[in-house]
Amino acid sequence: MSSFSVNEPSNRTKWFAGSLVILYAIITMIPLVWIALTGFKSPADAISYPPKYIIGSDSEAGFQPTLEGYVNLFTTRTRQTQEFLDANPPENWADEIVRKYDMVIVGPSKFGERFLNSVIIGFGSTFLSVFLGTLAAYAFSRFKIPLADDLLFFILSTRMMPPIAVAIPIFLMFRNLGLSDTHLGMILLYTAVNISLAVWLLKSFIDGIPTEYEEAALIDGYTRFQAFYKVVLPQAATGIASTAIFCLIFAWNEYAFAVLLTTANAQTAPPFIPTIIGIGGLDWPAIAAGVTLFLLPVMIFTILLRKHLLRGITFGAVRK
Amino acid sequence: MMSFINGLMRLRRGPWEMLATIIIAIGVFMLMQPFVIWAFTYSFIVTLTGTVMFIIVSHFPE
Amino acid sequence: MSDRTIDRVASATPPPVARKIRGLSDRAIAWIFVAPTIFLLLAINIFPLIWTIRLSFTNYKANRIGREVKEIGFRNYERILTDSDIWLNMQATAHFLIWTIFFQVLIGFTLAWLINKKFKGNDLWTTIIVLPMMLSPAVVGNFWKFLYQPQIGLFNYIIAFFTGKEPSSFEMLGQVNLAPWSIVIVDTWMWTPFVMLICLAGLRSIPDYIYEAAEIDRASKLRQFFTITIPMVLPFLMLAVLFRGIENFKMFDLVVQLTGGGPGSTTELTSINLKREAFEKWRTGYASAYAIILFVTVFGLASIYVKALNKVKER
Repeated sequence: MSSFSVNEPSNRTKWFAGSLVILYAIITMIPLVWIALTGFKSPADAISYPPKYIIGSDSEAGFQPTLEGYVNLFTTRTRQTQEFLDANPPENWADEIVRKYDMVIVGPSKFGERFLNSVIIGFGSTFLSVFLGTLAAYAFSRFKIPLADDLLFFILSTRMMPPIAVAIPIFLMFRNLGLSDTHLGMILLYTAVNISLAVWLLKSFIDGIPTEYEEAALIDGYTRFQAFYKVVLPQAATGIASTAIFCLIFAWNEYAFAVLLTTANAQTAPPFIPTIIGIGGLDWPAIAAGVTLFLLPVMIFTILLRKHLLRGITFGAVRK
Repeated sequence: MMSFINGLMRLRRGPWEMLATIIIAIGVFMLMQPFVIWAFTYSFIVTLTGTVMFIIVSHFPE
Repeated sequence: MSDRTIDRVASATPPPVARKIRGLSDRAIAWIFVAPTIFLLLAINIFPLIWTIRLSFTNYKANRIGREVKEIGFRNYERILTDSDIWLNMQATAHFLIWTIFFQVLIGFTLAWLINKKFKGNDLWTTIIVLPMMLSPAVVGNFWKFLYQPQIGLFNYIIAFFTGKEPSSFEMLGQVNLAPWSIVIVDTWMWTPFVMLICLAGLRSIPDYIYEAAEIDRASKLRQFFTITIPMVLPFLMLAVLFRGIENFKMFDLVVQLTGGGPGSTTELTSINLKREAFEKWRTGYASAYAIILFVTVFGLASIYVKALNKVKER
């Protein structure tokens, strides 16, 4: 910066702008912090009024942190008679927690399974869409393809389709092919949705790589294909990685297809979390624990992605 | 305005795309407006016309 | 462009090398690379779409497999487009669309403008603000339902704290007059960062010298804002508005988790209504016609969106 620039705001302006933005950031974080806190409360504390928000304090606004929510999230429990409880001492710390309610742990809950389904379907579809997307993006970026603009628009428009509208025939198609409620069906479906983002985003990354390197490689006797995977791919690595994260986040978050097309075997976490029931209604601490565990990976990925966020959300159109 | 009409006459892409955009916008407005139900009834035809027109005219020369 | 360069290179190199360069012709490679993507999209998007169009002219019901399927022409379309309940759902969608876009543009642009003042640590705070938009809408809807609980919810507590009302005197999700606003609030919380990021890109694309020239002309700051900043950011803003418009027009997961369309049908947006017809009442043919109507609308908006996208790309 030069000593005088009309665009350099004064310190007072900066201070003012900064405090407003920080205020907004704090307000925006309240719901998330609240959910994370709720995951560590007992069911009684979670629904108490006025709300309790000081960790480990004995005052009226304080609560003692507990892992009840997490234990309830991962286990199924049954109520037992006092004689049974006296005869069988608790086996571990988790058992000890549920004993407070005269219960014993009888097995794992479905959450682990659903979480694993989310991981399998997320990674499977991400791998497929990035793999196919890279090939297509390279072709669109480097070769003259007849009707390229129309094809690109067609690819993008498939992402714009309302999921519920697409779900009707997909439901019938999957029923006929035996793909309903299978991992493969969901992976294919999420790949089809993600591939448009992958193609557009990767095309913008590959467009940014100068063609000179490939041309030099071609003169050196490489075939087109060798030039592609020995020269272009390494240079597009950052772009491929951030595209992959975007695809993963989408597949991880998706709900509409998951709730309509899966019931048990391949159900992912988002349709499952809201259905966690405790004693006398929804078990909010367990739900909050599930939500926290489910959202945490996405938050970490978002922080990793921050340099490429803008490019991702505009399908590669805005690069800075 | 004159150049707009001129562009329409000579089948140029820019003004035709603009026209199609306006028709789509009117169709979407008709679909969701709270005033008269006949506009809602005919909104689909209008949007469909605009969309088909957009696909065709985007192939006109610049 | 590049293939012409290659041709030139090829013609300038000795024949054996040239043959090696060509190997598979570029054209063949291009098709091999593009074909799987197109094939997948044809199978999972276009084929179902054509099927939907076919079904939309029938009275097919997916839960009754043996029943005879009759062709009924445009009757499904006629029934949908003259149904005043569906018209009301469209208006609920319009309410949701207009207000979310209004608040998101207002807050999003203001935030972008403030962040563009380049105060210390703006990167860190931008990243924090952006977090909600990357989360799962269904899960967000689910935990906001907890915050909105009358009696125990944090939202009611905070509102009561600032207004002095009884926290149990209003139910965001249970009252007909408040429920449409409850979904607007959550969507705004979630997607304002999206508009903010795009506006920020727009503000950062304005070169400094334009302002310097305006300063030399002694244009006031206010005048600079309206004659330089706003027009230069406008294409970006259009992009954000169109995208949010399309996304909220087909909004499903967030609202279905939050209100499920209730109370009554006050927050029953079109997608929720469609889901009910297709997967609860199983009127597949009717729902297909409904789906086509939504699809054509989205497709129309999407073509405008791509036009806006290309406009921004040129900058």
